[in-house]
Amino acid sequence: MRMSLTKTCWFAALSIALLALAFVLLGSGLDTDYVIPKRLVRLASIVIGGICVAVSAIVFQVLVNNRILTPSIMGYEAVYLLWQAMLLLLLGTHGLSMLGVHGNFLVSVLLMLTYSWALQWWLLRRGRNDVYVLLLLGLVLTMVIGTFTQFVQLRISPGEFAVFQGVSYTSFNRAKPQTLLYAAIAVAVACAVVRKTLAVLDVLALGREQAISLGVPHGRYLQLYLALIAILVALSTSLVGPTAFMGIFVANIVYALVPHARHRVMLPLGCVVAIAIFLAAQLLVEHVFNYKTTVSILVNLVCGVYFLALIVRKRGAA
Amino acid sequence: MGVNHLSKQYGGRTVLSDVSVEFPAQRVTSLIGPNGAGKSTLLMLMARLLEPSSGAIQWQERDVSRIPVAEYARHVATLRQAPGFNMRLTVEELVAFGRFPHSRGALTVQDRRAMDEAIAFLSLESLRHAFIDEISGGQRQMAFLAMTIAQQTDVLLLDEPLNNLDMRHAVQIMRALRRLCDEQGRTVILVIHDINFAVNYSDHIVALKNGALRFHGTAQDVVTETRMADLYELDFEITRNHRGCFCNYFTFREDHS
Repeated sequence: MRMSLTKTCWFAALSIALLALAFVLLGSGLDTDYVIPKRLVRLASIVIGGICVAVSAIVFQVLVNNRILTPSIMGYEAVYLLWQAMLLLLLGTHGLSMLGVHGNFLVSVLLMLTYSWALQWWLLRRGRNDVYVLLLLGLVLTMVIGTFTQFVQLRISPGEFAVFQGVSYTSFNRAKPQTLLYAAIAVAVACAVVRKTLAVLDVLALGREQAISLGVPHGRYLQLYLALIAILVALSTSLVGPTAFMGIFVANIVYALVPHARHRVMLPLGCVVAIAIFLAAQLLVEHVFNYKTTVSILVNLVCGVYFLALIVRKRGAA
Repeated sequence: MGVNHLSKQYGGRTVLSDVSVEFPAQRVTSLIGPNGAGKSTLLMLMARLLEPSSGAIQWQERDVSRIPVAEYARHVATLRQAPGFNMRLTVEELVAFGRFPHSRGALTVQDRRAMDEAIAFLSLESLRHAFIDEISGGQRQMAFLAMTIAQQTDVLLLDEPLNNLDMRHAVQIMRALRRLCDEQGRTVILVIHDINFAVNYSDHIVALKNGALRFHGTAQDVVTETRMADLYELDFEITRNHRGCFCNYFTFREDHS
């Protein structure tokens, strides 16, 4: 079954509207004082998280010309987890409450941005805009930071460890309305920049050399997009926690749905797909599993199976 | 277009040392020489895909490093060997990318005309809506060349455009380059390994060896048995007839003494 582009988009928009409606209203008893406002906050954090994950993953895959990498290879999430573990080690569970959700959010975002700027500054100083050097450095740092985090985990008490596990899963219950507002503004700005440069993104997908030959200053746009990705990933990680493979799933589902499309279509569709997956997972967690499982586990399970099926089916067709 | 005392080092290794040469406008110039001579490096430097270690590249009396990349792409187009990428494109969509330097993504009527001209120039109409990952290597090379032509630049830089092509496609591409120069007055500079194509289709030859300029001049003047033998360290026999010039280096001359 092949759907036309507009049909696919309409279908996606409709299904996401239905999912959102179900999410807000299902079993709420139309309680507008507590249940529905709470759910709207979660819906907002799902929408912002979804947009961040989808846009950062698809843009990142253009920059590295590879469809199985996500920005998490650069170590942003590792920095976040190390910071959370250090907080617990140094200040205990009080530390988290002392900073408050708000403070923790801001500090986490700032730390991840500092990390990303340090990486880019190092790259710029070497005078080479080689993506592979950056990837290699990111991968090594991810592992080093991960090892540090594991070491810290060994030092904290079982109770603190449980708290740590809580922050290392994707969850939409953490964000407060005010934090969401700041995040929404930042995401809107980042998306506006991407929107303005959609045609450049298409040219970058042709590879570095072809892009320069077509008059795109590759190094400058690499810096710009890496900075945007850092902002998006920092926001989504601080808001909803690490999302691990989600970016790969979203990007590849989009490539499978509209194999023959420009970024003008791919990016919005990616956002819709990401939001739909998050919504479906959260619905299941709330109503079917009664919070006995987490969004991360469901997302990885469902998307993993779908992804595997996609590869097997493509192999069979080829 | 020309280069002045151009050098390029990788780490401590010099791949191009102090090359100064002028490329005549509205002519086809071939860069020849053995592997590792620095031909592709010179072309990449001129395309601004690499930064020179020292020296400068001139375009219309201007230092190229002072021209913005976006402006440069309206005057100089580069084609390396057909790159692999993840996007699924038709030939027409690929050619449309050639208009990016002019319209930044939104195609105008003028852009459409340039695309049609480029596609017609290479007789690619029948492949217009074919996906580039589903056509043969020779056709793909033609499609990429069409994109470069649609860029409508004064100068075209091509890195081994005949690589992996059969004889028919190779002749097609060389004839197209010749026509671009003769009919539209464009300057074509290409790196080429097949000396016979270089001699028969180009006006000007620039020969490099071990990163240094060996000789340059018109194809008629500089392609001689002694110079070629020195350049490639092979035994050359050059015969000229009404169809052109033929360099035979495939076998060694038997010694009759």
